[in-house]
Amino acid sequence: MNERLNGKAPRKLLFLFEILSLSLIFLYSWEGIQTETYVIAVGLVLLIYFSNFLLARISKGDSYIFLIVCMLISIGIIMIYRISPDLGLKQLMWLTFGIAMFFAAYFATRYIGFWERLTPLYLIGSYVMFAATLLMGSRTHGAINWINIAGVSVQPAEVTKIILVFLLAAFYGGDEKYRRMKNAEMILMMVAYSFIGLLFLQRDLGTAVIFFGVFTGLQYIYSEDRRLIFANLGLAAVGGISGYILFDHVKVRVTTWLNPWPHINDKGYQITQSLFAISEGGFFGTGLGRGNPSFIPLSYNDFIFSAISEEMGIFTGIGIIMLFMLLVYRGFKIALRQDNQFFRIVALGISMVFGIQALIIIGGVMKVIPLTGLTLPFVSYGGTSVVTSFIALGILQGASEKRGKAGAANE
Amino acid sequence: MNSERKRIITILIGLCMGFVLLIGYLSYFQMFRAQAVRDNAYNKRLWINEDNILRGGIRDRDGEVLVYSETREGEAQRIYRFDNLYSHVIGYSLKDYGKSGLERKYNSYLVNANENTAINELINLINPSGVGNNLSLTIDHDLQMRTRDLMGGKKGSAIAINPKTGEILSMVSVPDFSIETLSENWTTVSENSDSPLLNRGTQGLYTPGSIFKILTAIGVIQKGVPEAIYECTGSTVIDGYTIRDFDESGHGPLNLEQAFAVSCNTYFADQAVAIGHDNLREIAESLLFNQKMDFDLETTDSIFPDKSIGLTDLGASGIGQGRVLTTPLNMLMTVSAVANDGYMPMPYIVESILTPGGLTIDSHRSQSIKVLDNGEAQALKRMMREVVASGTGTNAGLKGVQVAGKTGTAENSSGNNHAWFVGFAPLEDPKVAVVVLLEEEGSSGGRAAAPIAREIINFAINNVSN
Repeated sequence: MNERLNGKAPRKLLFLFEILSLSLIFLYSWEGIQTETYVIAVGLVLLIYFSNFLLARISKGDSYIFLIVCMLISIGIIMIYRISPDLGLKQLMWLTFGIAMFFAAYFATRYIGFWERLTPLYLIGSYVMFAATLLMGSRTHGAINWINIAGVSVQPAEVTKIILVFLLAAFYGGDEKYRRMKNAEMILMMVAYSFIGLLFLQRDLGTAVIFFGVFTGLQYIYSEDRRLIFANLGLAAVGGISGYILFDHVKVRVTTWLNPWPHINDKGYQITQSLFAISEGGFFGTGLGRGNPSFIPLSYNDFIFSAISEEMGIFTGIGIIMLFMLLVYRGFKIALRQDNQFFRIVALGISMVFGIQALIIIGGVMKVIPLTGLTLPFVSYGGTSVVTSFIALGILQGASEKRGKAGAANE
Repeated sequence: MNSERKRIITILIGLCMGFVLLIGYLSYFQMFRAQAVRDNAYNKRLWINEDNILRGGIRDRDGEVLVYSETREGEAQRIYRFDNLYSHVIGYSLKDYGKSGLERKYNSYLVNANENTAINELINLINPSGVGNNLSLTIDHDLQMRTRDLMGGKKGSAIAINPKTGEILSMVSVPDFSIETLSENWTTVSENSDSPLLNRGTQGLYTPGSIFKILTAIGVIQKGVPEAIYECTGSTVIDGYTIRDFDESGHGPLNLEQAFAVSCNTYFADQAVAIGHDNLREIAESLLFNQKMDFDLETTDSIFPDKSIGLTDLGASGIGQGRVLTTPLNMLMTVSAVANDGYMPMPYIVESILTPGGLTIDSHRSQSIKVLDNGEAQALKRMMREVVASGTGTNAGLKGVQVAGKTGTAENSSGNNHAWFVGFAPLEDPKVAVVVLLEEEGSSGGRAAAPIAREIINFAINNVSN
């Protein structure tokens, strides 16, 4: 109860931010205010107000993660709207749908009790997702990671991320019969590597790194055979090096990471444009609407961090990084407080997905690490990304509530 | 259980450190790297800024306006008053093709986008249509015109410098191009086989030929054998290959001073071998061969080959053939060091940067580095005087002014020799040093380049203000 009262103060700050940034949007588009502008403003405030209100009513769990995410989506949608009002409206739609799915996922986590017993389903589900991508996938920006379902483009890998977390949680924290099989952990590692290999084939390097990170993290915490961890790291090194030698698209990433400037007109174009944007912003930014984020390709998507840094300054950029750090921290705290082993691992896995994904794409657009195409969770434009991120958050919210010990039903 | 908690916390700390590192790098990038990235000519934002800002003007040393901007029909227009004359110094500033020359190097000053402080940003918010800073150059416009006239119809470069301060007085590279019409003619100009876009004076690499003998002569002096008599028979065999003199009948017995005056190839080839690769390379590198040069315009590094070249090539290097390559600017700095008693002045073109209101933001301070002993410099001065007084460079001689210099006729793969002259005047109190390079001229330095240098020196001594 005490925690929920405390939740009100940050919520007020959140609204203060919204009011300020929306007034900037109004100022920016003063000469050509359209209905869209009002729709965005009213829609965003209402959406966030009601979802927070509702959540406080129904969930006794963590009261911060949703607030943190609300801040992230607010920054994101305002930037997206400023880049393209059309996309901004669509993003508002996706956010609404995403938040609905957040509640759905929350209730599903809360009221359905057999999640830890579905290991085979997770396994089959993942492979089906991969097969669907490889068979029906279309290539965008070099990666085959989209499929078209009833006119809507979906990225199956985004869904598979969540399934992977459940698979690992079910293995380490659920039904013991799989863990007792001969060489069980070895088989799990092979499964994980088959996923990573398939992602390599789809050229979805960013997601491959997330899979590797989540798997390695959970293996580090829960594996009983510590030698396997070293085997995993060794295998990753070998895989990384052979990937570099075998695949040109990997080589290009490394070349443009080491020195993009000689390739400024072709393969180094994206990253150099991103660096131009970040350096233009300075600490305080050029001001909303006063920069040129549209010079960066995919400024509303993979490179939204650079676009935000340009117009809102790296202080906002640092703010975003800190929000993700807080989100990860809260997620881990949820895990530490959770007595149910399965949900503890789910909470860890989801927090790691958020954390690693943010690290990879932010580090990528800053040229700290090689650039791999990924969305910045909750901030970037994109239907699948928004919806699956909210589903993952809903699960995390569900996992933040007290539960019985794992395996109680089995023993 | 306990180890599980520990490991969870380890992972959490790892992730958090990742985020902290990103924050650290982002701050570091913004403080120390962002400026250089932002100034990259490929950054399209530079252009956007300029739509609001009237680019600053550029004047010569006497205040003559060379370039300015004005608003015509609501649009900022850049007026290049002398167009071709400054195509390599001032350069172009085009939306589609980027920038070059001073327009590029000093862009942030010209658009006044440099001081990105919070207060400036606020001022810019209120009044975004600013006016850029002005540049004041060391160039003398009249001398620049004279130099261009003298180089008319040729291919090559001529540069005049004040050897004491490093002020560039004129700099011409031909063929040049029209800045005003460059946008329309981009393909023709950029694909022209004569490379008019190239600033030959700072970026062209050429076989130096006999002017490199200045460096070999330094080696002879440092070795302490300038008076030793050498018997020139018109050719010499080094490591099985024969190096011939221009005049194959042979110069007879010579010491350094006499060999320098007649530009005896066999003498300097044999001396180079005697000096040795390491010593000769050291001399060349002290004179900025193989070194990055800091200058207002883009430069290419002169090349002195590494040890793998063998004795024949070393002998050839001693007379400036073989694989030695230099830029005219580098040779001009070398001769300036001789003129300036062993101190090599660092060349510069931008004297000061002024606000639109006339306040000085930044002004250049002359710098020089000691590269030769005073004794070495005086000996070279005497020898170079002899070249003009009675040797290969008599065409550079003037009445009433003691000119010193060195000619060069460089064989190269084209079959037509480059004609070189480097020199300075007056001998005792040098006011101007000059380099003239005529690319693939097919004539000798003394015949083709020395007369042009003479006219530039004559004009500079009589007309350039201090």
